[in-house]
Amino acid sequence: MSTETISQLDVDRTRGDFHYPEQHTFDAGVGLSHATIDYIADVKNEPDWIREFRHKALDVFESKPMPTNWASKDLDNIHFDKIRYYLANAQRPTRSWDEVPDDVKRTFERLGIPEQERKFLAGVEAQFDSEAVYSNMKKALGDQGVIFVGSTDGLKDHPEIFRKWFGKVIPTGDNKFSALNSAVFSGGSFIYVPPGVKLKHPLQAYFRINAENFGQFERTLIIADEGSEVMYMEGCTAPKFETATLHSAVVELVALKGAKIQYVTVQNWSANVFNLVTKRAVAHEEAEVKWIDCNIGSRLTMKYPGVVLKGRKARGEVLSIALANNGQHQDTGAKMIHAADETTSNVISKSISIGEGRASYRGQVHIPKHLKGCKNNTECDALLINSTSRTDTYPAITVRGSGNSVQHEASVSQVSAEQIFYMQQRGLSEAQAMSLSVNGFVNDLVREFPMEYSVELKRLIDLEMEGSVG
Amino acid sequence: MSDSLLQDAPSTAAHPLPDWFRKNQKAAAARFDTLPMPTRRDESWRFSNLKAVDPQDFAPARPVAPELAAALLSRSHGLKSPAGSTVFANDRLLAHQLSPALAAQGVLWLPIEEALQSHGELLKGHLLKNTPLLGSDKFLALHQASLRAGSFLYVPKGVHIEAPLQTFHWVAGSGQAVFPHTLVVAEEGSSATVVDWFKSEGEARNLSIAANDLVVAKDAKVHYVSVQDWSRQSVSLHSNNTNVAAGGAALHLGLHLGGVYSRSESVSRLEGAGARSEMLAATVADGAQEFDQRTLQEHGSPDTYSDLLYKNALYDRAKTIVSGLIRVAPHAHRTDAYQKVRNLILSPDAEANSLPGLEILADQVRCSHGATTGEIDPDELFYMQSRGIRSTDAYRLITFGFLNEVLDRLPHEELRSQLQDALKARLRGH
Amino acid sequence: MSLVIHNLHARVVGGQEILRGLNLEIEKGRVHAIMGPNGSGKSTLSKIIAGHPDYEVTGGEVLLDGVNILGMEPDARSRAGLFLAFQYPVEIPGVSNANFIRAALQARLAAGEELEATEYYGDLYKEMDRLEIPRGFTARSVNEGFSGGEKKRNEVLQMAMLKPSYAILDETDSGLDIDALKIVAAGVNAQRGPNIGMLVITHYQRLLDYIVPDVVHVLVGGRIVRTAGPELAYELESKGYDWIKDELEAAATA
Repeated sequence: MSTETISQLDVDRTRGDFHYPEQHTFDAGVGLSHATIDYIADVKNEPDWIREFRHKALDVFESKPMPTNWASKDLDNIHFDKIRYYLANAQRPTRSWDEVPDDVKRTFERLGIPEQERKFLAGVEAQFDSEAVYSNMKKALGDQGVIFVGSTDGLKDHPEIFRKWFGKVIPTGDNKFSALNSAVFSGGSFIYVPPGVKLKHPLQAYFRINAENFGQFERTLIIADEGSEVMYMEGCTAPKFETATLHSAVVELVALKGAKIQYVTVQNWSANVFNLVTKRAVAHEEAEVKWIDCNIGSRLTMKYPGVVLKGRKARGEVLSIALANNGQHQDTGAKMIHAADETTSNVISKSISIGEGRASYRGQVHIPKHLKGCKNNTECDALLINSTSRTDTYPAITVRGSGNSVQHEASVSQVSAEQIFYMQQRGLSEAQAMSLSVNGFVNDLVREFPMEYSVELKRLIDLEMEGSVG
Repeated sequence: MSDSLLQDAPSTAAHPLPDWFRKNQKAAAARFDTLPMPTRRDESWRFSNLKAVDPQDFAPARPVAPELAAALLSRSHGLKSPAGSTVFANDRLLAHQLSPALAAQGVLWLPIEEALQSHGELLKGHLLKNTPLLGSDKFLALHQASLRAGSFLYVPKGVHIEAPLQTFHWVAGSGQAVFPHTLVVAEEGSSATVVDWFKSEGEARNLSIAANDLVVAKDAKVHYVSVQDWSRQSVSLHSNNTNVAAGGAALHLGLHLGGVYSRSESVSRLEGAGARSEMLAATVADGAQEFDQRTLQEHGSPDTYSDLLYKNALYDRAKTIVSGLIRVAPHAHRTDAYQKVRNLILSPDAEANSLPGLEILADQVRCSHGATTGEIDPDELFYMQSRGIRSTDAYRLITFGFLNEVLDRLPHEELRSQLQDALKARLRGH
Repeated sequence: MSLVIHNLHARVVGGQEILRGLNLEIEKGRVHAIMGPNGSGKSTLSKIIAGHPDYEVTGGEVLLDGVNILGMEPDARSRAGLFLAFQYPVEIPGVSNANFIRAALQARLAAGEELEATEYYGDLYKEMDRLEIPRGFTARSVNEGFSGGEKKRNEVLQMAMLKPSYAILDETDSGLDIDALKIVAAGVNAQRGPNIGMLVITHYQRLLDYIVPDVVHVLVGGRIVRTAGPELAYELESKGYDWIKDELEAAATA
C-alpha cells in the first residue's frame, strides 16, 4: 500500500477528524503532580474522601512499573509529563443542546449525536475533553428512579449509591492505568437502574477529545439493581494531531441479582491516541453482563473487558471486533473470572489486521477450586489482509477441579485469492471484494449487535478497507 | 549456590575433551553463576512453582556401586532388538552396544564423552548450538557446564535405521544431580528413531537437567521419544531442540510420568521448505505433581508444517501448565501450524493451566489452536458400564484412551506398545 | 425366565414423566418388538432399563429373572445379562475395539482370573467374519470415525461376544442402507435361540421384515397400548400411528 493512499485514508476515514480552536476556562496545566490533583479537586469542589482517594491513587500510579514485561514497548512513548490532565469550560453539563457552546455543539452535530438522540436513545451524555457538556435523559426514566448523570454529579448528588460501589470492581491498584484514572478521573457516566426497571432504549455517551496533548480520563459506574435491564452505548472520537493523546478510562459495572447490562463500545480514536482502558463487571446471581466492544481506531489500544461471575448461574459475555490498520496495535481481549457454581462465560473475538497493523488477543479464564458446572467457551478468529499484517493470541486458562468445561479455539486465516477473484469476475473491484469478505468474516458477530451500531460498523470497515489492496 | 554443583564437573575422561568444549563449559559455568533465577514474573515461568527448583539441594551424581550397576543393567528392559543400546547410571556409562551392520554403514552411536574425543569436530557444530528461547537459560548453562553423559547418534546420508536406538538414564541415591544429553544428527535423506528412558532406583529425590539436540537434515526423518519416569520426589528439567531442514520430518514425543516438578521445554525450528515437525506429549499427573510444559513452533521458512498435541490427565492435587507458542516469521508464507491442548481433570483439586499462543507475521498461513479442559464424558462412561465394565475400570480405560491417542501417533509398533505398557502401569491404582 | 417390566414410571431427572405405567414381559427364546411414534418413550425405555443416569424411575420395577435390577449400576446390570444396542453408539477415542471388548469380558471373570488371549481373539475373529467386519477393525478406536453401518455392526458384534440373556436393540435400523441392514439382521438372527430374549425397538416396520418378531407392541404416551402378532407391524405401516391414537382417544371419550 502506498503512503499516498494512507494519508488520503486518514483524511477521509472518519467523521471525527476535525477540531475547533480551544478555549478552556479551566486548565490544570501540563504534567502530573499532587498539585494537579488538588487543582482538579478544587475546581470540581469535591468532598475530601475523593481528594484523598485521588492522592493515594497517584502514589500507586507512580509506584507501579509500566507493564512492558508482557505488553507493547510502545507504552514507553507516553510522556506523562507532557500531557494536560484537565481541560474544561464548566463543571456541570446542561440539559439542553441550546445551552451548549456553539463550537462544541457544532462538533457533536457533525458527529450526528443530537439526531441520534431524537431517533432512538433514552438518554445522552456528551463529554468534551474533561467534562460532560450535555446530559439529558427521557423524563419518564427519571420518574422511575433511573439515574443517568456524570461521575462528578453522581458522587456529589448520590453518595449513598456511588460510594458503595465506586472503586470496588476495579481497585485503584488493579493496574498502572487504573491507578492513573483513579488519580485524575473526570467525566464519564454514573447510572443507577432501580429494581425491576427495564430500559427499552439505550443510554448513550459520547466521548470527544478536542485538545492536543491531552489526556481524557472518564470514569463510568453502572449499577443495575435486582431484575433491571440497561443497555449503554459509547462512542469515542478525536481529531488527528501530530502528538500523542492519552485516553485512559475506568468502567465499573455491577449487575445485581437477575439484572442485565449490555455495554456497547465503538472506539474510533484517531491514530495518535493511546487508548488504555480498564473495564470490568461483577455479575451477581443469575445476572448477565455482555460487553460488545469494537475497536477501529487509536495508535495502541489495550483493553480486556472482564466479568467477575460472583453469583450462581451468572453469565458473562464479551463480543469483540478489532481492526488494526497501518501503525495501529489493537491489543484487546477478555477476562472471565468464575467465582460461583454454574456460571457460564462466552468470548468471541474477531480481529482484522491490515497493512502493517497488529491485532493481539489476550484472554484470561479462571475457574478456581471447588466450583461445579462452570462453562467457558472462547473463540478467537484473526483475519490477515496483507503479507505485512500481524496477529497474536495469548490466552491463559486456569481450571481447578473436575465438573467444569472450558473450550478455547483460535484460528488465523486470510481472504483467499480465489475468493477475491471469484467476486471480481462478478464485477466487484478488488477493494469491494475485500470489504465484502471482511464484512463476511465479522458478520455473524455483528448480527448480535444493536442495529444502529452494526450499520455504523459496516461503514467504518468499508472506509478502513479502502486502499488496503493493490 | 552453584559451587557444590560445579565442583565435580566435568569428568574424568580417559582422553582429554576438545578445547572448544572445555571453553564452552567454563563459559557456561560462569553464565550459570551470573544469570538470575527466573521468577514467576517472567512470562516463560508464569504459573510455575519455582520453589520446587533449587539446584542448591543437589550435588553432581556419584558413581553407583558395582552390584547396583549390575542390577540396574539387568533392569534396563527395552526393545527386543534395538539398533543400539546404551545404559548410564548417575551419568556414568554402564553398557553400550551398536548393531555391527549399522557400524559398517558408517552410523555412529557413541557415549557423548567418547564422541567428543573421537569426533569432536562433528559435534562442535550441533551440540547446544541453539539459543534457549523458553526460559531455561540458567538451567541449560548448568547442563552444559556439567555435561558428561548421554548418547550421540550420527546417521550418514541416505542410511535408514529401522529399529530404534535406546538409552537408559538411571539415577540412584539421594540429592544426586544428572545432566543427560542426546544429540542426533541425521544427514540428508536418512532416518532413525531414538528413545530415552529416564528412571530412578528407589523413591529418593534427585535432580535431572536434561537436553537434546535433534538435527534433521534435508529430507531426513527423526523420531525421538522420551519416557520421563523419575521417582515421584525428583525434579526434572528437560529442554529439547529440534531443527528441521527442507523436506525433513521430526517427531518428538514425551511420556511424562514421574517427578514432583517436571518441566519440559521443546522448540521446533522449521528451517526449510517442506520441513515438518510433530510435537506430542502425554502426561499423567497425580499426588502433588506439577508438569510445566513450554513449547515453541518456530516457522522460519515458507511452506512448513507443525502439529502439536499435548494431553494431560490430572488426579489429586496435581497441576499442569502447557504454554505453547506458534510463531510464524515474516515471509514464512503458506505455513500450516496446529496446536492442541487437552486436559482431563479427574479430581476436584487438580489444576490445569493452558496458554496457547499464536504470533503470525506472514501471509497465507493456516494456523489454529485449541485448548479444552473438562471431565470424563458421562456418555462414554455409561456406554462402558452398559457393557459390564465397572466404573473405576471404565474411568481408567477412558483415561488410557485419552492419552493413548498421543501414543498412537508414534509409528514404531514395538516402541508404542512399550509406552502403552508404561502408561497402563502408571494408571494402575487410579 | 424372563425380563419383566412392571408398572414402570420414569422421567428425565427433574423433568416430565415419560413412562407412565409400562408393563411388558420378554421371555427367553422370544423376540418382542416395540413400535411407536416419535416421542412415545421408546428410547427412554431402553435407557432406563440399562440404568442411564439422566433418567429417574419414579415407580414400578424391572425384574431380570426375578431380580429387580433398578437399584443396580449400569455395569452390574450388564454383567447380570442385560445388553443394550445403542441407537447412537458412543465414540471412545484412543481405546481400541479389541481392548474394549476384552475389558468387558474381563469384567465378567472372577477376581484374579485372566481372559485367555488366543481364545478371545479366536472368538472375536469368528464373530467379526460372520458380520463381515475386516480385521483392521480391532485396532481402531471404539466407534470413532465409523460409518452408521459400522457402528451398528459393532453393537451386534459386542452382543455376540458378551452373550447376554436379554438384549434390547434400540433403533438398530436407523442410519442403515438396505445392504447393511441385511448384514446386521443376519447377525442378530444368528444369536436368536432359547437362551436369549430380545426386545427390538423400531419406528419402522422395515426392520421387522428381517428380524421377525414373535410379538409386536405399540407404545404411545409412555404405555403399551396394543399387543398382537407380527401382522400388527404391517397394519401400522399401512395406516400410520394416528390410527391408533384416534382409536385411543375415541375409547377415552366413549
